[in-house]
Amino acid sequence: MKNMTRAAPLLVILILLGIWELTVRVGQIPLYVLPSPSATVFTLAEEFPTLLRHTGITVLEALTGMGISFAVGIIIGILIDAMPTFKRCIYPILVVTQTVPVIVLAPIFIIYMGFGYAPKILTVVLMCFFPIVVSFSDGLGQMEEGYLNLLRTYGGSRFQLYRIVKIPSAVISLLSGLKVAATYSISGAVVGEWIASQSGLGYYLIRAKNSYMLDKVFACVVMIILLSLLMNGLVKLFGCAVLPMKRQRPKA
Amino acid sequence: MTNKWKKKLIILTAVSMVWGLAACGSSLSEEKAGAAKQTEQDKQKDAKEQEAPAELEKVTVILDYVPNTNHTGIYTALNRGYYEEEGMDVEVIEPTDGATATLVAQQKGNFGISYQEDVTIAKSSEDPLPIKTVAAIIQHNTSGFVSLADSGIESPADFEGKTYAGWGGPGESAVLEACMAKDGADFSKLDMVISDGTGFEALGKSCDIMWFFEGWDSVMAEMNDCKLNYMECRQLDERLDYYTPVIITSDAQIESDPEMVSAFLRATQKGYKDVIEDPEGCAEILHSYAPDYDEEMLKKSQTYLAGKFMEDTDTWGEMKDEVWERYSSFLQEYGVIEKALPPSDYYTNEFLDLKE
Repeated sequence: MKNMTRAAPLLVILILLGIWELTVRVGQIPLYVLPSPSATVFTLAEEFPTLLRHTGITVLEALTGMGISFAVGIIIGILIDAMPTFKRCIYPILVVTQTVPVIVLAPIFIIYMGFGYAPKILTVVLMCFFPIVVSFSDGLGQMEEGYLNLLRTYGGSRFQLYRIVKIPSAVISLLSGLKVAATYSISGAVVGEWIASQSGLGYYLIRAKNSYMLDKVFACVVMIILLSLLMNGLVKLFGCAVLPMKRQRPKA
Repeated sequence: MTNKWKKKLIILTAVSMVWGLAACGSSLSEEKAGAAKQTEQDKQKDAKEQEAPAELEKVTVILDYVPNTNHTGIYTALNRGYYEEEGMDVEVIEPTDGATATLVAQQKGNFGISYQEDVTIAKSSEDPLPIKTVAAIIQHNTSGFVSLADSGIESPADFEGKTYAGWGGPGESAVLEACMAKDGADFSKLDMVISDGTGFEALGKSCDIMWFFEGWDSVMAEMNDCKLNYMECRQLDERLDYYTPVIITSDAQIESDPEMVSAFLRATQKGYKDVIEDPEGCAEILHSYAPDYDEEMLKKSQTYLAGKFMEDTDTWGEMKDEVWERYSSFLQEYGVIEKALPPSDYYTNEFLDLKE
């Protein structure tokens, strides 16, 4: 029974892929409209070395962007929690940055920063830092007063308050924000590359699309999905490393 | 004290929200009234149209990009009723980026604006797109490479170690490689970047070389006092004198209603002949459809293009085998396509008014 529930999601995916494959084959849908899953997998295998080269660039941009987002997110998160005035000043601006479509901003970044990695990294940062800030500052804010009071009665300083109680307990909340950010990071880099680049998966996508090779486009999309999942997995690993209770949880 | 203040704030917010909602509501109802008026007008218009003797056939034209002076003949034909005379109700659509040939192949539109480059690639893909070129809008390739006048980049021989910003077309690198090789330069030393939609402002800053349409981008640069070196493609290599842009249609359209193709091209040709005779007047027509552009710029561009639409030909839209042969064998030579097809696979002149 337990095996059944485990196999169910896999089964659903397989059925969906089967329907897709069948539709393309029976309907004789041409390649420039929709490639079949088998054609996509075949192309993925064939193009793997090329894709891997572009993947390196995209991952580099995504990781750098994530790193910056993480650092900026943690600092702003703490400041927001520690200084209500700062929160009132900064929070609305943060929200506004998220309301401007990235597709509008990315070309503008390129005008300012040229064709190098910087505008792509900035696109990643723009997409990733917000979930980190929000999840972390919320985590810091939702402390049980009892713990804090306990520390205060022992004469704990503000710094100790954060170090011993607040930050460790906000990590759980931070992790969910990081997961969202990690999943976005690859797409963010690809959006940046799509606008202007000389390498990376976004560059590959444009070239494939302009050549009417939708199988290559789909193969590249599969690569992006895999990478995004991988980034998500990395965050989970990070969670296991920093949260001891996660490690001890019995495996289902 | 703070509590009182908070209460006041809450009340204030609530009041302002209600007020805002009310404002929204009233503007909404105004909009509704406007819309109602609109539909009434439409009804009257429809009624008028129904009075017309023959029912017009719906025809959709998908542009390659935003409207520009390449398309003025179509807008002129539309504006002056040439399509209606042929029994057609033409709608012009600006597509999402780069999907025109696919949309026409899927019969989401009857006609599309494309380029010889695109058609050649599309016909050579694994599943060739069922499309055909039925007219060349401009007889020669009026595009070329540009650099800033004081950059010292005056021929492809100077491209080494420079940055080129293009749009990521599949034939693009082949063209650059050929031009540079011809001038004895090493193509591998050129830095290529994809940057669609970047204008002349980027020249000399983030890139050194771009590929411009003389009749559009160069005019725009000139109007902004940006002096350029211009290296025309067709002078760099004869094989690069291909048709850009062209009108395409689907094989299905040709099979099911060839008469419509002829009729459409008859009316379109009339439009382009008007543009050749009166470029400034027709630029004004284009401006009425695309009011965001500077009218002066459109007029300048149109005056330049007026001499290009029928350069070296008596029949608007006519194409030659050799142009298609030259370019497809060029792309084959550089490995962009696997095999050059016979020209008749790419284009046909049969729907043009060749008797005139």
